[in-house]
Amino acid sequence: MTRLVTRDVVALLGGVLVMTRAVAQQTDARLERLDETTRPAVIAIVDSVRAAGLPVNPLVERALEGATKGAPPDVIVAAVRRLAGDLGRARDALGPGATAIELNAGAEALRAGAGPDVLARLRRARGRQSVTMALAVFTDLVARGVPVDTAATAVLALAATVRDEDLVEFRRAVERDIAIGAPPAAAASIRLNAAAREARPGRP
Amino acid sequence: MFDQFDDAVERVVRHLRRPVSIDPALDQRVMQKIAALPPPSRGVWRWLTARREVALSPLGALGIAAAVAAAFIGVWRMRVTPPPASAPDSALHGFQFVLVEPRAVKVSLVGDFNDWDATRTPMHRTSRDGLWSAVVSLQPGRYRYAFLIDGRHWLADPAAPTAGDDDYGAPSSVVTVGGGGS
Repeated sequence: MTRLVTRDVVALLGGVLVMTRAVAQQTDARLERLDETTRPAVIAIVDSVRAAGLPVNPLVERALEGATKGAPPDVIVAAVRRLAGDLGRARDALGPGATAIELNAGAEALRAGAGPDVLARLRRARGRQSVTMALAVFTDLVARGVPVDTAATAVLALAATVRDEDLVEFRRAVERDIAIGAPPAAAASIRLNAAAREARPGRP
Repeated sequence: MFDQFDDAVERVVRHLRRPVSIDPALDQRVMQKIAALPPPSRGVWRWLTARREVALSPLGALGIAAAVAAAFIGVWRMRVTPPPASAPDSALHGFQFVLVEPRAVKVSLVGDFNDWDATRTPMHRTSRDGLWSAVVSLQPGRYRYAFLIDGRHWLADPAAPTAGDDDYGAPSSVVTVGGGGS
């Protein structure tokens, strides 16, 4: 039939395998900034996360942050590995349809102390809307000192009915109250009650 | 009279009876000429399905392999990359970052949006009071960032939430950009 001899077939298949592996593991050029100790470990984590279908850019950025801040290699690798785990847990909680931005926000919320059930309930509460801002507001409130349970309760209560802009305004109001001396938990509760009253006019 | 003719005929016959020597490469030359002729038109289908000899060098095989691998990876990446949530989310929003640092000589804005490259976003002193400012275009997402003062000291943004995990011993801040730029 053809003169495509065995030697050529072997070369063709071998080439496909080698090139497929090479292209699949194409290293992000930004990682060249990492030192020779850190780079292979981070690349290995990035490759495994990519293979799992998770976003890898947050991992690259976390590694670059560590390199720019002069962190030791083992600290950078540990931070990247922890973030990789959080991204996986965020996808488990938010579902396979979650976007890269949602997964990144979900990973930070988990790191801030939210349980996976909070992420899943937020996903259900937001329906088809993005859950990114709700997760970000939760994380920011915790960073401002609001207890995890209080922040989760507040964001869950608001998430089903308000827009992203309203969530941001809620966070700003709580931050203003904290800045003038209100205890974080009390600030969040008071602002949540105020939001509830606005949603139900006519009630005290 | 006929003897003359007989003699001529015999010479002709002898000449014709001599064995003819044929060049042994004649067959090969004839077949080469035939092969060089344009093929007869037999329709598109027969042309498409006609078997042909294919000879590849190892280098050619590697080239084809590279093309196949690139196509495979392209399809694979399209499959694993989630589509954007909605069209407006891809819009850029200009964000102004400000810092009051009267004693600083140089301030850089460094974060996820510039790959933590301290040279890419220098902040500009906008007043003698030490107000530094920089504007960055951001797509929707959540970004960690910090200020680098005089190339040595890291400072989180006092006007923004602090990133919860301080893995590197130098705090960062976070900014979240929603679809509406909030």
